[in-house]
Amino acid sequence: MMPGHRSFSRGGPALPLARMAVAICALLVWAAAAAAQSTAPPDLSGFWINQYTPDLSIVLGKQPPFTEFGAERWRTVDTAKDPTAICLPVGPSRGFTAPFPFLLVQDDKTISIMFEYQAIWRAIYMDGRAHPDDLADYPYFMGHSIGRWEGDTLVVDTQGIDERSWLDTAGHEHSDKLKLTERFKKTGPDTIQWTVTYEDPVFFTRPWSIERTFTRGKPGDRVLPYTCNENNKDVEHLRPHQPNLNYKHVPDPPPARKPGER
Amino acid sequence: MKRGIAALFTAIALLASGHSLAAHHSFAAQYDSNKPVTLKGGITRIEWANPHIYFYIDVADSSGAVQWAIEGGAPSTLYRAGWRKDSAKVGDIVTVSGFLARDGSKLVNMQRALLADGRSLFVGNQSYYQKGR
Repeated sequence: MMPGHRSFSRGGPALPLARMAVAICALLVWAAAAAAQSTAPPDLSGFWINQYTPDLSIVLGKQPPFTEFGAERWRTVDTAKDPTAICLPVGPSRGFTAPFPFLLVQDDKTISIMFEYQAIWRAIYMDGRAHPDDLADYPYFMGHSIGRWEGDTLVVDTQGIDERSWLDTAGHEHSDKLKLTERFKKTGPDTIQWTVTYEDPVFFTRPWSIERTFTRGKPGDRVLPYTCNENNKDVEHLRPHQPNLNYKHVPDPPPARKPGER
Repeated sequence: MKRGIAALFTAIALLASGHSLAAHHSFAAQYDSNKPVTLKGGITRIEWANPHIYFYIDVADSSGAVQWAIEGGAPSTLYRAGWRKDSAKVGDIVTVSGFLARDGSKLVNMQRALLADGRSLFVGNQSYYQKGR
């Protein structure tokens, strides 16, 4: 056998094979990169402007589905007792409905929200953890948030919310059983659709939701100071104010039965 | 036309909400929307501080001058609207329209303030925030 023949017989086919292998590898790398790109979560980071929503029931078009207890609390709420009036943290959802912007910072493990209003933050843990077992014993005004991606939508579950926080300026309250489910979906380069669902069996007979839009700020926009205790003179001038004393509770109708259901 | 209608609706929404920047707490817990007031006086002090700015004016009355406290918006809101802490100076004469505090103190929630040269003073930029409806 001639060396050349041998080399041809062994090396010849080996060269196209090696080329093919390289090509396949390159294809795999490209495919993996493309797949990673298509499944990479959208970038929500940036400076965002809220829609100011002082009364959630205006967006809802009616009062939330109160339990008897929730209705009585709404009827007798004293708006002079708003926790933010004495500079307590705004609460997880009300931060997104206040007339102040927020900064969102995103990485694989955590999404951080820095609210200008009351200079307070939320950490949304994205590492797959569950809520702490002892969360109910250690609630926080801004709650404990865990998040996950459902396709291109960020879904955030928040519990352990201190019952002293309010849902809005109008005086919608909640209990320590409140569970929030928020969905953040980019609807364009400069808009996020935010849907929040309130679940609280003490105050509401069923979950209810509202939807708002965040709009990106201008380049160079920054979060400005809101040092609430700096010069809070309002508190000494607040007087009891119960705007809903004439509120009449109409209980939520029972859910319609499905056909065949007893 | 469309813009005019939008502006009209915005104006109605602002009127309906009383004080549109009362995020800190309910407007009605502190002020009486049935008690409008207009005062004119010289600025004696400006507090550019959170959660709301204050300035003080001396208003002439039969016994001399009485000091009134005037409450405005949040510094960040006013800053974004182009106002600075020295946009008005001590000694400037200002005409303030607003609502009286419910507790009877000499305190006004400012809805409008005009300097002697006709400039509006410390007006927040409402359009920065989309109205929550």
